[in-house]
Amino acid sequence: MKRRDFLSMAGVGGVGAGLGFPAFVRGVSAATPIKIGLPTVLSGSNAQYGIQAKRACELFGKEINAKGGVLGRPLEFIYEDTGGDPATAVRKAQKLVEKDGVKFLTGTVLSSEALAVSAKCPEWKVILMSTINGAGALTAKSFNRYFFRVNTSGPMGARAISLYLAESPMKRFFGLGADYAWGRDSVGSFSAQMTAAKKEIVGKEYPPVGTKDFASYIAKIKQSKAEGVYLALPGQDSTIFLKQAHQFELTKQVKPIMEIVELENMKAVGEAMAGTIGSSRYPFTVDTPKNNAFVARFHAMHGVYPDMFDGETYEGLEWITQVFQKAGTADDVEKVIAAWEDSSYEGLEGPFFMRKCDHQAVQPGFAVEAVKDPRYPHLIPKILATYPGDKVTPKCLTEDFS
Amino acid sequence: MKPRALALVTAGALVALPWVLARYQLSILTDLLIYGLFAMSLDLIIGYTGMVSFGHAAYFGLGAYGSALVLLNFEQPVPVALLAGALLAGVVAAPVAYLSTRATGIYFAMLTLAFAQLLYTVAYKWRDLTGGSDGIAGVPKTTLFWGGPSLATPQAFYLLVTVCVLLSLLACRALVRSPFGRALQAIRENERRFTSLGRDPRPFKLVVFVIAATFAGLAGALFAPFRGFASPEVMFWVLSGQVLMMVVMGGIGTLIGPVLGAMVFILIQEIASSYTEHWMIFTGVVFVLMVIFLPGGLMGLVRGRA
Amino acid sequence: MSNLVEQLLNALALAGLLFLVSAGLSVVFGVLRVVNFAHGVFYMLGAYFGFTAVALSGYFWLALVVAPPVVGVVGALLEASTLRFIYRRDPSYQLLLTFGLALILEESVRILYGNTAKSIDAPLALQGGVALLGTVYPRYRLFLVVLGLAVGVAVWLVLQRTRAGLVIRAVAQNSEMADCLGADVTRVRTLVFGAACALAGLGGVAAAPMTSAYLGMGISVIVDAFVVVVIGGLGSIVGSMAGSLIVGAAQTWGAFYLPEAAMVIIYAVMGALLIFRPWGLFGEEE
Repeated sequence: MKRRDFLSMAGVGGVGAGLGFPAFVRGVSAATPIKIGLPTVLSGSNAQYGIQAKRACELFGKEINAKGGVLGRPLEFIYEDTGGDPATAVRKAQKLVEKDGVKFLTGTVLSSEALAVSAKCPEWKVILMSTINGAGALTAKSFNRYFFRVNTSGPMGARAISLYLAESPMKRFFGLGADYAWGRDSVGSFSAQMTAAKKEIVGKEYPPVGTKDFASYIAKIKQSKAEGVYLALPGQDSTIFLKQAHQFELTKQVKPIMEIVELENMKAVGEAMAGTIGSSRYPFTVDTPKNNAFVARFHAMHGVYPDMFDGETYEGLEWITQVFQKAGTADDVEKVIAAWEDSSYEGLEGPFFMRKCDHQAVQPGFAVEAVKDPRYPHLIPKILATYPGDKVTPKCLTEDFS
Repeated sequence: MKPRALALVTAGALVALPWVLARYQLSILTDLLIYGLFAMSLDLIIGYTGMVSFGHAAYFGLGAYGSALVLLNFEQPVPVALLAGALLAGVVAAPVAYLSTRATGIYFAMLTLAFAQLLYTVAYKWRDLTGGSDGIAGVPKTTLFWGGPSLATPQAFYLLVTVCVLLSLLACRALVRSPFGRALQAIRENERRFTSLGRDPRPFKLVVFVIAATFAGLAGALFAPFRGFASPEVMFWVLSGQVLMMVVMGGIGTLIGPVLGAMVFILIQEIASSYTEHWMIFTGVVFVLMVIFLPGGLMGLVRGRA
Repeated sequence: MSNLVEQLLNALALAGLLFLVSAGLSVVFGVLRVVNFAHGVFYMLGAYFGFTAVALSGYFWLALVVAPPVVGVVGALLEASTLRFIYRRDPSYQLLLTFGLALILEESVRILYGNTAKSIDAPLALQGGVALLGTVYPRYRLFLVVLGLAVGVAVWLVLQRTRAGLVIRAVAQNSEMADCLGADVTRVRTLVFGAACALAGLGGVAAAPMTSAYLGMGISVIVDAFVVVVIGGLGSIVGSMAGSLIVGAAQTWGAFYLPEAAMVIIYAVMGALLIFRPWGLFGEEE
């Protein structure tokens, strides 16, 4: 046979093998694992978030399978790397659903990825459980009933810190949000709430995502004579900003306030970040027996303390498996949805309630401060105030509070 | 097997696949064909006219947004959206081509990048129209024509894509074999000689750029209903770089090569990333080896030239 | 007034960093006719190797001196083992090759150092600020201005006033003729590539106290570097200096006065320039 023909056939065979031949339909038996698919970010600049989701899955999976699994079936996690690209996210999600037969997706990191995957869920008839995505639209304008959000949303984070600041003596605030959906919405939400609390917003700027040099913005903040600067910047950008603000001695005059205070930042920036206040979606310092035990187990397995999305993902997994028990099935998606709506869950942070109208989990909000503690190798989030769920969760299907 | 017979058999096989392949594999193939069309359009510029463009994703993106907006807001049949997307891309490409072709070589490439980034920024910031950084999700697959059959099944949509790709391939092939196409290749071979013969290369470059952008726009217009969304990433320079890689991998100046190149490029990453989170090293090594050992790209291998 | 001076210094500091990264890219194009997509990754390597050097020794100055040559060696080895074989090919192939190298290097750094950004502190002598017309200006940024200038002058002197520089310029102008005249063209290419990578690495170490060492810093700088090189004209060191100043100024003042356009300012500047002068400021007319 000619070389060219052989190569063509080898190519086709290789493609076929790579894609996997049509899966045989397996009968559902007691031992078939319950699969949870994670089209998440494991490489590139947002990899730290996907890795948190993965860590939580590893811990939870180990624990629950040691106890016999859920409904007598082991839990199995399938991780796929999207690289932070929505087109890849949909492709990977489709692979998980159509090739691996997954009915429950989680771990989406970027809002654009979550929006794109969520829009496909009604077609695929699978549930997307958010434990990371903060975009308000996911439970408002872009909501569909196959989407569930277990985590604190962006508006809720801005709300928690706004409630705290409404009581503080600071009056003049500057808003610095990265120029994309989350940055703009967060600053917008914060501004609206501060203005309603009779405080003054003295300036707003939106540096592009990936800004390496914040000197001009630091100069503007200084000029504005603000007392506090509210930051809604993605992880790496906020690390850079905090370092440079410290070098310009801005942080001596102006208090940094962040919608998200996370351990990754504290490790990267170090002590220059001490005194920063903000909101945390899950601060590992919550002092309850359940959470302290979780932190100890997490540290024993991974050697680090759990960051925000480690905790949120763990809570999501624990909750959804309780919902499986309650519904008596992990195959009938409609029954799972019905069982999850209006259900309660005792989480690591406090009590959760899944609203039927927009599938947002009502949960406590936290105002924290980054402080030095000799017991830990990095700064930790000290809880300044805890707000009950109904005070920090927006009205149904909206991003508004009043 | 003679080339024409092989081509007919392959085309026939492609059309018959919906009855053979499982749903998931059909989806993957649809995806690959869309990017294949995108890569082929770039080959018109790179392979046949010798101009390297760093901004080709902008036209893919314009096609995607155009199609997404038509489908979401006006609920027209898919071919209307395809037309809208392709035309939008072509129309925007015209002034860009006019200004960019004043330069050559790397300077031309950087100008195409500059314009592409400008368009990207517009898509990114015009939140009311484009959804901003979140993009537009929930783009539906509608029908083939008014009152016609739905395209919402994987099989139907696959057939639409296959037909579009095959027709585009035929059109491009006819283009490169025409006198216009031969003039392009003359420009690629030796632009100075072309000019010294008294002919102006610029109109040719301009026209081929617009045609290539239109086909890229068609690919993007197919992408939006297929994936159900459009977001700024489809216009970003990273995608422009990736489609450039696809063309090089497949074989510059062969039209079919880039289609194969797109398929291999995506499949390598898909398969590698499912096996290891360090897939980037694997794909990097593959690229390096391909460049060193396959001077003609994949088509060079297939044709027996080493 | 103090604001204007502060802005000027910001622009100069940024220009200094940009120059360190782009000078190498420009020279590589001038001498090797290669568009090195992996150039940004060497910048990142410099920052990470600098972090290791500081972690091991505690001295930033040591890192500044040691890390760049190490990066240069890595670059030279890669050139000798891969790039060398494809000089005669279409530039598109070089792009694919350097892109592949970039993927390999970036992932290797991730394996070695992990995902969290690595922080470096400026040396004590450069910490803190100087009182400047009523405000405080970071000493480290002043250092960047001086460093950029010093390296610029040094590179220019080497190329224009030394014998080695003469050979390099000869190879850039006409490699075949230089070969006939006895220059070891292969070795020149390897050395130039290595030196260019070392310069990028120096840029990375210098940037690290300001931005920390993080994955993706190469990607974020490569586009800026390309813009600088194209504005200045490929192959010209003076062009890189001019380009760096222009881009540094545009980004600094643009961010201050036209914040909504911050994303596109450098592209607008480059585009406007190329439309009127399609070979950059100091480049050769094609």
